[in-house]
Formats: sequence, structure tokens, C-alpha cells
Amino acid sequence: MMDGILQGVGTAFSSYNILMVAIGCFAGTFIGMLPGLGPISAIALMIPITYGMDPSSGLILIAGVYYGAIFGGSTSSILINAPGVAGTVASSFDGFPMSKKGQAGKALAIAAYSSFCGGTIAAIFLLFAAPALATVSLSFQSSDYFALMVLGLTAVAAFAGKGKFLKAAIMTIFGLMLATVGTDSDSGIARFTFGRLDLIDGISFLLLAMAAFALSEAMMNILENKKQTKEEMDELKKDIGSLKITKEEVKEMAPTVGRSSVLGFFVGVLPGAGATIASFLAYGMERSIASAKDKLNFGKGSIKGLAAPESANNAACSGSFVPLLTLGIPGSGTTAIILGALISYGIQPGPTMYVDNPALFWSVIISMYIGNMVLLVLNLPLIPYIAKLLTIPKQLLLPLIIFFSLIGVYLVTFNNFDIYMMTLFAVVALFLRIIDFPMAPMILGFILGGMMEDNLRRALTISDGSFSFLWERPITLTILIITIALLLMPIISDYLAKMKKGKEA
Amino acid sequence: MTKNAIGSIFFLAFSCFYFFNVFNIKKMPGGQFEVMTASTFPFYIGIGGIIISLLILILSFVKKDTDFLSIEYLKTLDFKTTIYFILAMIFYGFTIRTLGFIISTIIFLLIGFLLLKEKNIKRILLISCGVSIGFYLLLNNVLGVYIDPGMLYEFIIGDQS
Repeated sequence: MMDGILQGVGTAFSSYNILMVAIGCFAGTFIGMLPGLGPISAIALMIPITYGMDPSSGLILIAGVYYGAIFGGSTSSILINAPGVAGTVASSFDGFPMSKKGQAGKALAIAAYSSFCGGTIAAIFLLFAAPALATVSLSFQSSDYFALMVLGLTAVAAFAGKGKFLKAAIMTIFGLMLATVGTDSDSGIARFTFGRLDLIDGISFLLLAMAAFALSEAMMNILENKKQTKEEMDELKKDIGSLKITKEEVKEMAPTVGRSSVLGFFVGVLPGAGATIASFLAYGMERSIASAKDKLNFGKGSIKGLAAPESANNAACSGSFVPLLTLGIPGSGTTAIILGALISYGIQPGPTMYVDNPALFWSVIISMYIGNMVLLVLNLPLIPYIAKLLTIPKQLLLPLIIFFSLIGVYLVTFNNFDIYMMTLFAVVALFLRIIDFPMAPMILGFILGGMMEDNLRRALTISDGSFSFLWERPITLTILIITIALLLMPIISDYLAKMKKGKEA
Repeated sequence: MTKNAIGSIFFLAFSCFYFFNVFNIKKMPGGQFEVMTASTFPFYIGIGGIIISLLILILSFVKKDTDFLSIEYLKTLDFKTTIYFILAMIFYGFTIRTLGFIISTIIFLLIGFLLLKEKNIKRILLISCGVSIGFYLLLNNVLGVYIDPGMLYEFIIGDQS
């Protein structure tokens, strides 16, 4: 393990890779700040650039973009109450009131320090949790992987929110269906290609990710025609004030940051949960344990109310890398995109990655920490200037985002059919956004579809065509029981809510 | 109509279309002896899609869903500009190989800025030409990604390869 860590340190601390982290953090901060564009879009837009790099540098750049986008989302939440990312919505509850009080600089500093601490604590946890889980998962077989993938997809639907379970489930299936387009990897038979040679290789994950996120988000902005209000522009033109935090304030927020980071990490590890749930849970937890006097401050510019979601969402980002790097199974839309990028580099994450590619495995973990430092040391002092980018008019930004999305995919294949297909998918995604169907489960289903089919095939072959593999292996059975429990969760919580209502009435 | 009902009808139609096309997947000779063929997985997810979309449709009526896609909301949306943008994207796909990267990108960006009512012509021209030429030079000279200048360029200047 020590050799691997040293190799990882060597790779992560090479001047080129440090530059990549810095570029990633800056690009991510900028894209994440734009309302509507989150980390998934930011990563999707950067992937074509990484194709020319070696996998470590590419992944390090992507990790930087991920952290930067979350930080950028916090910035727009705090400054103009317009979260660019769902994971930073909770940050606006107390961040924006602080900004209105003329303490925008302080709020941004608290967000940056909390994110840094959250990221640091989570990186330490990751350092121990990832190898431990990788060692355990070395004993996993195809049937266990198949069950794990079913669990991952179910969890995404289960955590989608009240009344959204079935919507997320159908979107997952939609993703699985799209994954079956193209040549079957086992038999070589073409499926759903309708005689078109352009579909023989299937649908590219980058094309789908770009169309479903970056392109459709930009088009949604055009469709909704939301202009920045005069108040928002005025807020951006204001001086953000001092970035300094007093000793008392540090003392006040330190326990909150510690608690929220641990909570955030574990929520991040859970498939499907992610930064949004982690930040809301941390905010709720802090409010519920606060003294009666502190409780009154929540929602009005409480330091704890800002520090809690910020440390939790950053810790959750690191946590979500655990199942990705050790099991090869993404737990969220963002990690699904990262998995897609890894596969396109020719790397299959999983327990063997820890053994076969220690430099890559550890350099990613270490670069996450470097990313946090870059955000703190470089991005925070520059935030008053980066925030000015938000004043760029949308009529100039949106055509450029659409252009970069289209050209990013075109440059991979040089096939203009991809531009037509992207347009078609973006229109479908736009329609689904209007009727509130979530996009992340679709991309997760799409990424896992091929692997799920391969593992099912292997498991069925081993068990001679019988589905008995589902209950014969204890690990598979345990995972499936958890899956069923997750499936029943919305029904049980609905029933409990009704019981509670009945009692109150 | 509620958003869930609209979505479920869309997915029901798509799942049915998908499911019926599963039967068009060719079988290898002797495929009947295999534990899993190319159509096994699509068959199950096709069924899954039909069941779940039906469930959403039924529940949207049973639970008396109130999340309607209101006409008021649709009236606030700028469909005209969005459709023009979609056409511009298709046009870009159509022209990128014939007119070449630089010219087609300049045209696409010009159309985009004008559609979104940017009035400063100088700024529009500067950004369109700057981004297009700058990106072309970056790709060809720095990143080593060769972009075909286009059939029009080859027709006028001649193929220099």
C-alpha cells in the first residue's frame, strides 16, 4: 500500500498534474457558478479535452473540475441566491442572508474553509475506506456485481425524493435501453441500429451526457428566457467585503464542520445519496442540535448554517469516489460521468484497479486534496474577480456553451451524424426537464447497462442458465435484501406519514 | 394533463416500440441453446419499462395528481427562439463538413447571438470570428487535433495534401 501511495504522490505532485488540478478548479468554479450548469455539465464539457492526456492527468483534471463546480455553485448561491448545483441549495439558506448584510466576503470564506475541512477529513477517510473496501470486494463474483448494480440503480431511485421514485426508475430503465443500442459485445449481433452504420458502435456516453446535461440545460435557459434581474446584477457589482474570519467564529464553526464532514462522507458513500442529501441532512442536523438562541439565527445568516452544508457536500463528493474506485459502480450522476470517462481511457475501475493501477488510484485521491488546497489558496482570493464573470450577458454565454458542447462531441468522431443525434437527445431531454423527469438516473443506467448485462451473462453461464445465483451466494442475497428494503422504503415512509397525519387529525 | 401522465404516455410508447423491436434482433445459429442471447437483457428491460410507465400512468389518476403542465407556464416559454436554435444546430451539423469548421462556426455563433437579441454587432463579429479562428488554431497547432478545412476550402484553394 505504501508503494502505491508514494507512486500516487509522485504522480499527483508532478508540475503538469498540479497545473491540471488548478485549471480544473478554475474551469469548474466558472462553469459551476453559472446558474443551471452543475458539475455534470462541467465535467462533460471538459472530457473531450482530457482525451489527449494520460489517464491520471485526465482524471486529476476532472476531479478538479468536480470540486471547482461545487465551489462555484456555492459562490452563486451566496452572492445571488441562484445555486448552480443542487448540492449547494442549502448553502443559500444562510449564505445569501449574510451576503445581504454586506458580509459576502466572510460568507465565501466560511464556505471555502468549511469545504476545505470537509474535503480534508473525507480525503483521510477515503485513504482508509477505499483500500479496505477494495480488499473486501476482491472476493466478489459476477452475481454479486450484478446485485450491486441493481442496488445502485434502485438506490438512485429511492433517494430521488418524495413522489419521484417511479420517475427516477423509468429514467434508469430509459438509460438501460439506450445502452443496448449497437453491437452486442458477446455475440456481435447488431441491436436497435435500424440498419444505420452510425449506430453500430452504440450511442457514445459523451454524446448522451453532453446532450442530456450541458446542451439541454443551455436550451432550457433559452426556453425559459430568464434574464438576470437588476437586483442580481447589483449584488454582483457590490464590494464583497472582507474575507477574514475571527477566532471566535472559527471556534463556533469547528464542531459543526467536524460533524458535518463525517456525516457527509458516509452519505456520499451510499449509492444514490450524494452531495444534495448530505448538505440538507447536515443543515437539518445542525439546526436540530443548536441551542434555542442559535436556532433563531438559522435562515438569517448563521455561520453554522452555512458551514454545515458546505463541509457536508464537499465530504460527500469525496465519499462518492469510494464505490466508484473500489467497486467500479458509480453512486451518482457525476461519478457515472467520471466512470464513463475512465472506461473511455481504457481503465475499468474496480477492486483490481487498486492493485493494477496504484499510481492512478492514489493520485486521484491525493489530487482531491490538492484540489481543495487550490480552491482555498487560489480561488478564494480571486473570487471577487471570478464572480464578475457572472455579469457576462446570457445572450453571449449560451451560444458559446452550445457550440462547445457540439464541437466537443464532434471532435471525437468527426461524424456530423453525432451533431444530429445530440440535437435529438437534447430535444428529448428538454421535454423531460419540462415535465420534471430527472436526468441523472438515465446516465447512471446508461453507464451501468453494458456492465450489468455482462455480469448477468456470466452469472447465468456459471449457474447453467438458472436464476438461483440470486439466492445461493450469501453476498448476492444480502445485497438483494438491501435492494428490496430500499424499494419498499418509499411505500413504508408514505404509510408512516399517513399514520402520523391520521393521529394528528 | 399532469406532468406524470404525459411522461408516462411518452415512456409507454417508447417502451412498447423498444419491446417490439426486441423480436427483430437476429439470433445466432444454435442460439436457443445459449443461456443468454443478445435479446434476453433487452427483453426484460422492455417489460420493466412497460410496467413502470403503466404504474406511473395509473397512479397519476388514482392519486389525483395535481402537478399539471399548465398552459400559463407553457405560455411563458420561448418556443420560437428554441426551435430556431434547434434548426441552427442541425444547420451547423450540415455545414461543418461542407463549409468547413471556421466558416460554419462563425455562421452558427452569429445566428446564436442574433437569435438571443444581442445588438452589439461589433461584439458579435469579434466573438464569433475570435472563437472560431482561435479554437481552430488551438486545435491544429497546440492540441494536435487536425480539423478538415472543409469541402468549400478544398474547392477554392485546391487539395494541398
